[in-house]
Order: sequence, then structure tokens, then C-alpha cells
Amino acid sequence: MSAVHLGIETVSKRFGGIVAVNDVSFGVGSGDLVSLIGPNGAGKTTLFNILTGQLSPTAGRVVYEGADISRERPSRRARLGLGRTFQISQTLTSLTVLENAMIGAFLHHAALREAAETALAALEKVGLDHRAGELAGHLTLGERRRLEVARALSMEPRVLLLDEVMAGLNQTEVNRIVDLVLALNEAGHTIIVIEHNLKVVRAFSKRVLVLDRGNLIADGSASEVLSDPDVIDAYIGKKKR
Amino acid sequence: MRSAAGPVPDTRSAVDGVWTVRKELPIWLAVVCGLGLLVFLLSGQFFYLNLLTVALLFGGLAVSWNIIGGYGGQFSIAHSVFFAIGAYTAGNLFKHFDISPWISLIPAMVLSAGIAALVSWPVFRLKGPFFAIATMALTEVAIAFAMHFDLITGGASGLTIPYRAGLENMIFQARWAYAVLFLGYLAAALAVSVIVYRSRLGFYLQAVRDNENAAEASGINVLATKLKGMAISAALTGAGGVFYMMYVRIVEPAGLLSLFDVGVKIALIALIGGIGTIYGPLLGALLLIPLDYWLRAFVGSAVPGGNLMVLALILILGALFMKRGIFGALKQALDAVWRRQ
Repeated sequence: MSAVHLGIETVSKRFGGIVAVNDVSFGVGSGDLVSLIGPNGAGKTTLFNILTGQLSPTAGRVVYEGADISRERPSRRARLGLGRTFQISQTLTSLTVLENAMIGAFLHHAALREAAETALAALEKVGLDHRAGELAGHLTLGERRRLEVARALSMEPRVLLLDEVMAGLNQTEVNRIVDLVLALNEAGHTIIVIEHNLKVVRAFSKRVLVLDRGNLIADGSASEVLSDPDVIDAYIGKKKR
Repeated sequence: MRSAAGPVPDTRSAVDGVWTVRKELPIWLAVVCGLGLLVFLLSGQFFYLNLLTVALLFGGLAVSWNIIGGYGGQFSIAHSVFFAIGAYTAGNLFKHFDISPWISLIPAMVLSAGIAALVSWPVFRLKGPFFAIATMALTEVAIAFAMHFDLITGGASGLTIPYRAGLENMIFQARWAYAVLFLGYLAAALAVSVIVYRSRLGFYLQAVRDNENAAEASGINVLATKLKGMAISAALTGAGGVFYMMYVRIVEPAGLLSLFDVGVKIALIALIGGIGTIYGPLLGALLLIPLDYWLRAFVGSAVPGGNLMVLALILILGALFMKRGIFGALKQALDAVWRRQ
């Protein structure tokens, strides 16, 4: 594990009286593969939004490659190398599947053809290349999730943040994305995933962060964290002792 | 992050299927030549030639509007303001300084783009109908300004420029010359529209229109993209104002900045013709301008306001059944036939 690549320092986020994220700090090293888990409403997506700039923290700061990026716009953070997907797919419905991915590819390729080639390569990786010419609005929800991944990949990001991209996918599709994530990580990409599927989390097996009601309650390897009684409590409720 | 496996043969066509400016060029040329032929055929027919001339002007304006209104999805009904800026710039420079309108095109476009960017900056925070309403307010402010600064606009009685025929003055004796002039304007606007649509900016504008969240996360500066689209759109609209000034030689604020006869009309033409498509706004102008004239003459004279009622009905039907206007509906029908074969 190398030095901190992307991280947050004592970040809190309040919406009115609700504390969505409470004084959370963690750092992700370059080339790491980190899973972020926790029950519904734990603040995982809020944390993602703070990392990529859709939300600004109430307190604390976001650090990327040694610089404070807390005040940078999402588009600027994307240009710095943060690529993300959304939990609720943000499909550009009037564009084709290829054009959706091209929107990401334009970040580093201004020419139409180059952008199309980069986009198509990304679509191949998520298995959507055969639908390149179709309107993205015609895709199923599962396909839209994969398209989200393709658009993020087309940005050729250094850090990839995937928000529940496996949800609603069948087993074959899940395996495909798992393999893809592992391959990308192998190739040197830093990856943070929000995931509910514990099988998938085990497959990634490296580092797992657990968020519960806005608090970071565990941080360690998958086997360690998943046998932690606090984590089990958070997920399936307290046992009677 | 290229795939190490190399290109897959059967998907190469997807990349080849991406329409570049070069591929669009023959279509653009065919459309312009076709319209040129129409001008030629109608050159002896006074009435139809005039109708075509106005249709070509509004075609150019609607194509310009479409860049921000269609591709960018920012429904402005304030384009009459940029149209007026162009007209007043050319009119005053010609009247007081004897500057050729061909030269005035440059300050007219720069001024239109500059003012457009300036006033859009705060307004672009508003979305959807709120943006449209803000642009409507902008038109009202512009009328008040135009009435007040009568040194520039001639106030309510209008700005008149002297008749001095000649190519350098953009004033012609032959009526067909204006048809050719407006065809040239339309061709230029259409060319810019094609270049924008088939470039990164065009894609970015569409991404912003479809989903600002996704656009931002993809590294698109949403505000800068909107401002660029608006500036280009306004510059072209300002150029249209220059040509219009030299065509009518008298303009007054109430007509030039009229919400219904200019601002809304431009948007309406693009909307009915095919908002967000390259050629839809042109098609809309070619159909709607003659229809509007005909409705005014026959329906409007029989039932006051009847022409507007018919136009409103067309708009409602269009909004309900043709999301991409007449052009989009035609394309869809053709695609269906194509697929059946």
C-alpha cells in the first residue's frame, strides 16, 4: 500500500438536523481496491458525492494527490482523474449508447473518431459494444448500469468510484464486472466500490470500509471486517446475549 | 485504457458510423443547392419569392436558435434581443458613419455574443420553464431600453436608413438578390450548426441538455458549455439582424423585439420543424412561414385571432405526438421503412 492518493479528513455532512456523515477520515493508496459497505442510509453515497464534488462537506476536507480539492467543481475533479458512476443511472437518453460513452471519452480525446474508438473499447469491456448504435433510452436498467461504467471508463480515470454497479445485474453480468474491476485494479487503477453483495466484496478481498449511520465503524481486510461483531450487528441487528 | 485484445471487426462499423463534419458536408451542400434552385425558379414570381426570402431568413434564425435551444436545451425566447442588436449595430454604423454592413457584421456578431454571454451568466442558473420565463423578461427590458435610447434606436418611430443600392451597401434593386442574400445567411448558419453538432461542443451541449449531473461528472463544465453555445447562437442571430436591417431599411422596437413575431416565433419554428436536429428548424421555417402568411390572410381576416388559434393547435399536436418535430417524425417513419426492408 502506497501513500494516500485520495482521502478525506474529518469530514462531516449534515442535511438540516440529520448527520449523514459524521467525522469520517480515511485515505486510499494509489492502486488500492477498496470496498465501502454498510446498511441502507449509512451515508455511502453521500461520501461518494463528497469525494467527487456533487456535495460539499459541512466540515473537513477532501485531499487528492496532496492537494485540497474540497472546493473544486465535479467537472474539475473529473479532469484531475476522478471517474464515477451513479447509484441511480444517469443515462443520456436522447443519445446512442456509443455517444453516451463518447461523452466520457471527450475528456482526453477532442477528435470525434478518437473519442468513438476509446468509447467503443470501453463498451467492449462492459459487454455493450453490440448495442453501440442504439438509443441509450432503450436500455434495461442493468444495461444502463454497465453503460455508466463504460462512460466512467472512457474518461480514462486514475481513480474509479463505482456506486452499486452490480445491483440488478444477473450472475454472468456480475462476474463480468467483477473480472473487469479486478483487471482494472491489476492495471494500476485505484478503485473504490460501494457494494451490497458480500460475495463480491469477498472476491475483491482487499480492504473493506464499513459505514453505519454516518460513522466509520470498521476498516480492514474483508475476512477481518466481515467477522467483526459490530459489523454483523450493523447488518443483521444485535444478537441477544 | 485501450483493449489489449485489439479491435473486434464487427463493431468497427460503430466507429465508422459516427457522423463527422466531412460526412455531413454533401447533405449540407445538397440542401443549399436545392434551395438555390428554388430561388432561381421563383425569381420571376414576386409574391412567392418574397415568401421564400422571409422563410430563408427565419430558417437561418431558427437554425441559429437551435444551437442553444435545441442542442443545449436552453429554451430562450429572447433571441429577438440579439436580432435587434445586430439590426441596430448595422443600421447606425451605416446611417451615421457610412460603414458597409458587410463590415458591420463583425461588431454586430461580437456585440450580440458578448451581451448574450453577459445576460445569460446569471440566468443559466435557472432551469427549464424558469429559464424561458427569465428570457421573456429580458425581452421586456430590451424594449424599455430601446424606447429610452432613441438616439440609437429612433425610439418608437423607428430607425430608418437611406436607400443607396449597391452590393457594398447590401441594398439591392432586384428582389431576388435578397433571396440569395438570405440563402447565403442560412447556408452559413447551417454550416456553423453542422460544425457544432458534429464536434465535442455539440455532444457536450446535448449531454448538458439530457443530464447536467452526468455531464459534470464526465468533466464537462456545464456553465462554460452553455455560455459557448449561447454566444455562438446569439452571434449568428445578430448577423441575421444585420441582413434584416438592410432588407427592410426601417425597424422599430415594437416590431423588432416583438415577443410573438420574432422571439417566440423563432423558437416555435425550430420546435415544430424538429428541435435539436440539424435540418428540422429549416424545414419548420419553410412550412410555417407560408402557413403563417396564409392563415393571417384567410383565417385571421375571417375570425380575428383565428390564425393564432390554428398555430397553437399545430403546436399542441406537435408537442404531443412529435417530440422531435416534423423532421424527427419523418426520420422515424423512414427508419421504420428501412428496417422493414
